[in-house]
Amino acid sequence: MSEAVITLDRVSASERDQTLVEDISFTVHRGEAVALVGSNASGKGLVLRLCAGLEAPASGTVRVLGADPARATEEQLLALRQRVGFVFAKPALISNMTVFNNVALPLRYHTVFPETEIRERVLARLTECGVDAFRDRMPADLMLGDARQAALARAMVMDPDILCVDEVLLGLDADELVRLRKILERYRRAGRPTIVATVNAPTSLLRAMDRLILLQDGRLVAACPPAEAPLLDDPMVQVFFGSQ
Amino acid sequence: MIAWTGRKTVEGLEFAAAVLDLGLRAFRELFSPARRGRGEVFRVVTRQILFTGVDALPVVGAIALMLGLIIIIQAGTTLPQVGAGAFLAKIIELTVVHELGPLLTAFIVIWRSGTAICTELGNMQVGQEIAALDAMGISLIRFLVMPRVAGVIVAMVCLTIYFDLIAIVGGFLVAKIHLTIPIQVYLAEIEEVLSASDILITVIKSVLFGFTIAVICCHHGLSVVGATTEVPQQTTWAMLNTVTACLVLDIIVSVGFYL
Repeated sequence: MSEAVITLDRVSASERDQTLVEDISFTVHRGEAVALVGSNASGKGLVLRLCAGLEAPASGTVRVLGADPARATEEQLLALRQRVGFVFAKPALISNMTVFNNVALPLRYHTVFPETEIRERVLARLTECGVDAFRDRMPADLMLGDARQAALARAMVMDPDILCVDEVLLGLDADELVRLRKILERYRRAGRPTIVATVNAPTSLLRAMDRLILLQDGRLVAACPPAEAPLLDDPMVQVFFGSQ
Repeated sequence: MIAWTGRKTVEGLEFAAAVLDLGLRAFRELFSPARRGRGEVFRVVTRQILFTGVDALPVVGAIALMLGLIIIIQAGTTLPQVGAGAFLAKIIELTVVHELGPLLTAFIVIWRSGTAICTELGNMQVGQEIAALDAMGISLIRFLVMPRVAGVIVAMVCLTIYFDLIAIVGGFLVAKIHLTIPIQVYLAEIEEVLSASDILITVIKSVLFGFTIAVICCHHGLSVVGATTEVPQQTTWAMLNTVTACLVLDIIVSVGFYL
């Protein structure tokens, strides 16, 4: 088994004084693609943010790439976040920058690459995500699906060790879903990134994952390979996969 | 009543502590030698100076001209009637250079740029742009707060000097239609009463006002939690608090200068 890059040990967490995640434990290994699966309000978004080190747990321990985000200093957190790419449910592109400048921002901020190299890397990611035609547009001019693809390009541009994608299906039509699946597959083949994504409906994308972690009401229901998930004897899982 | 007073006092102290903390972190970042994001930060500083300083020149110039005209006409016609015509330059020095120049420039910057900073950061919070910056490992203090603080301070100092010049010279030129004092005499009197300490007090006030405006407006903008309806509320609070803070600072500096 390869090295553990994310470990959640008996983690509980709350948001706006409401406990949304209770006593969850699991480990994600380097190079693994994991989907956090559950209906809306199952707590998967918060679990994803815990996995990225963006939230501190109320109890339990989270370790991301060997660091404990709850105890890290601001500098350590900033360093950790350069190694974790995160795509929010909302595209969250900086509204007063073009798509190109949005994707270039992490490179311009964190690296000392010359502008020619930055341009090369940004265009490669934009092309890979199928949004290079929109590079000079402002985020407000994009459709939701394209804006999320641009956000994905921005998350991937630093070649992170972990790529987290919240609500991976949001704003995508069938073609875009196929395109996203190909992007993620190609991205995994090209390097060694760990992918963690949240999914709130059954989709062909799940087949591209190594493991599904099924959540309900903030609790872990099961963790298994995608092929086994529909066969699980759990009402929530059966409703989710349409076998009940 | 006692409980209400206590609660408000605690809230006020918490607000002051939060603003002071943000200000200190921005100040520390201003002198941080870190290379990280220098180019991007410089771009934000430049944009802030352009918006707060250069774009505000017409409105600041117009207000300075009108204010200078009013003061010079009032003082220039009233003072000779009571045998105090020689004090015109002193009146200009006290009202324009010491008090109204920095204060009115601060109010214009609050109305134009303070509200813009608060609204922009508030909307960025709502759109999860702030969360995205944080997730990318981009320091919010270094990328958002410090460049705005630096930009507003530079713009405030330049605008205040510009305001004083337009009010003193421009105001006189317009008032000349009504007054009989020759411009050479007027300028010589101004030169005589103006000292280095006058310039220093103006610069000190504008630096303090610029810092206060930027930090309080950034604090309110970043205090938006998630609803768009919070943005105008926080902007209103930012305006009230910056105006109050600037007035209090003005009193402190003026009293300190004369004591």
